[in-house]
Amino acid sequence: MVRMLAYFLVALAALLPAAANAHGPSRQKVVSKIEINAPADKVWAVIGNFQDMSWHPAVAKTEGTGGNDVGATRTLTLKSGGAINEKLTKYSAAERGMGYEITDVDVKVLPVTNYAAQINVSGTAEKTIVEWRAAFYRGFVNNDPPPELSDEAAVKAVTDIVQGGLGALKKKFEGG
Amino acid sequence: MTVAGDTRIHSARLRAGQFVFLMLLCTPAANLAHAGEKATGSARTAYVTNQLGNSLSIVDLASGKQTDEISIGGKPAGIALSHDGARAYVAAPDGREVILVDTATKAVVARAAVGQGPLGIAVNPRTGIVYVADWYQHRLFALDPATLAIKATVETGQSPSGVAVTADGAIIFTADRDSNQLSIIDAATFKVTGTIPTGERPFGVTIDDTAGRIYTANVGSNSITVLDLKSRMRVRDVPVGLRPYAVARAGDRLFVTNQHDESLSVIDAVTLALVATIRVGGFPEGIEADPSGKAVWVACWDANTLEKVDVATLTVTVRVPVGNGPRAFGRFLH
Repeated sequence: MVRMLAYFLVALAALLPAAANAHGPSRQKVVSKIEINAPADKVWAVIGNFQDMSWHPAVAKTEGTGGNDVGATRTLTLKSGGAINEKLTKYSAAERGMGYEITDVDVKVLPVTNYAAQINVSGTAEKTIVEWRAAFYRGFVNNDPPPELSDEAAVKAVTDIVQGGLGALKKKFEGG
Repeated sequence: MTVAGDTRIHSARLRAGQFVFLMLLCTPAANLAHAGEKATGSARTAYVTNQLGNSLSIVDLASGKQTDEISIGGKPAGIALSHDGARAYVAAPDGREVILVDTATKAVVARAAVGQGPLGIAVNPRTGIVYVADWYQHRLFALDPATLAIKATVETGQSPSGVAVTADGAIIFTADRDSNQLSIIDAATFKVTGTIPTGERPFGVTIDDTAGRIYTANVGSNSITVLDLKSRMRVRDVPVGLRPYAVARAGDRLFVTNQHDESLSVIDAVTLALVATIRVGGFPEGIEADPSGKAVWVACWDANTLEKVDVATLTVTVRVPVGNGPRAFGRFLH
């Protein structure tokens, strides 16, 4: 009886939109900056195209619609397999900044939920600072997560993405 | 999807086994002497929970400086203060504890295991009883204000988040995030007497005694729901920014923290029209009005600041650096 009830509740839960919004108890944060010896306009010209994330070494393909308008979407297909669906939530060419959220990702691909991030570019004609800030919850929405879906696993995975991306950008512009 | 299912199974099992002990909480108001004594001037101190920093920042509001950062542990988020300001109650969902801080000595004087995800927390201004919502097990606990012992439990809707108590101490409201409703709980009997639908995923809940209204910040529908305190009717939903967290009333304005917009939506408290949007630090969350009505204080999770917004000029006038990941979810000014 209890078992049947359990199956029924699992099936019911799968139908409820609540599941998509649920999250763990503590939002996590990853903030990283890098200085690049290149004009800020040039760096922004690359990063500022929401429809092309080929500058990131983990991304194999970017497909999307809506250009750089708020509400635009993209699907990032990763070189390691799997995909991340994202939506542009903020965009300012004048301030050289954008904000976006992950609308759908398998926690096996990236162990996070409720992920939102901002990338901001500042600097001069010689030097650029790129700052990437991400806010997210771990992949497991309840208590006692397995290690691969813990807060630590989420922070590590996002740190790898952010630092991998910033490092590749620096390399792209500075060469070597 | 199945992971979310686990919570439901768990709570359903509990529901069968767990019986709420009806304890009549007709405590003859030990703290009643303090009722009405609260200063009408400005608040002097803010107690800000830093979730990632595992600490409580104590901020002197006159100088705009953090004077102490007390180690708490357990990823603290919820905050409530006793009516006389002598005690700060912190809810730490990761540690599954409620922590009592003596604000005079700035020391942790008690900590107690409470449920599976203690988050929203509030103090009854008449009795001093502490209410804590359990985000994972869908219950509200009543705790002894000195020992933190659980005196009573009541089931709410799914994932109760914010908790608010009426000024007369008679009614408690919980914002049941995943049931899109408020639960109405009689403080004397500690029973749910009704529910009221809100917008999607209500998180913070605020009682406005001046207007006789209740506000919820609806994370899912990017709106606030305005409800009438007396009739318990939903007055209107007002669109705000992205992922609103909580609402405060100061002067004739409502201020809503929009987590994903680094902004506050400012709404006319009478007409409910949007008046302005103010840029603040990243991920603004906990917010409370100064008793003078001249300012609101906002904890900005991403910016690691407590920010003061002037109600007359609608500008940020003070930015106080605090610990990492400030949330200040609850009433944090005294």
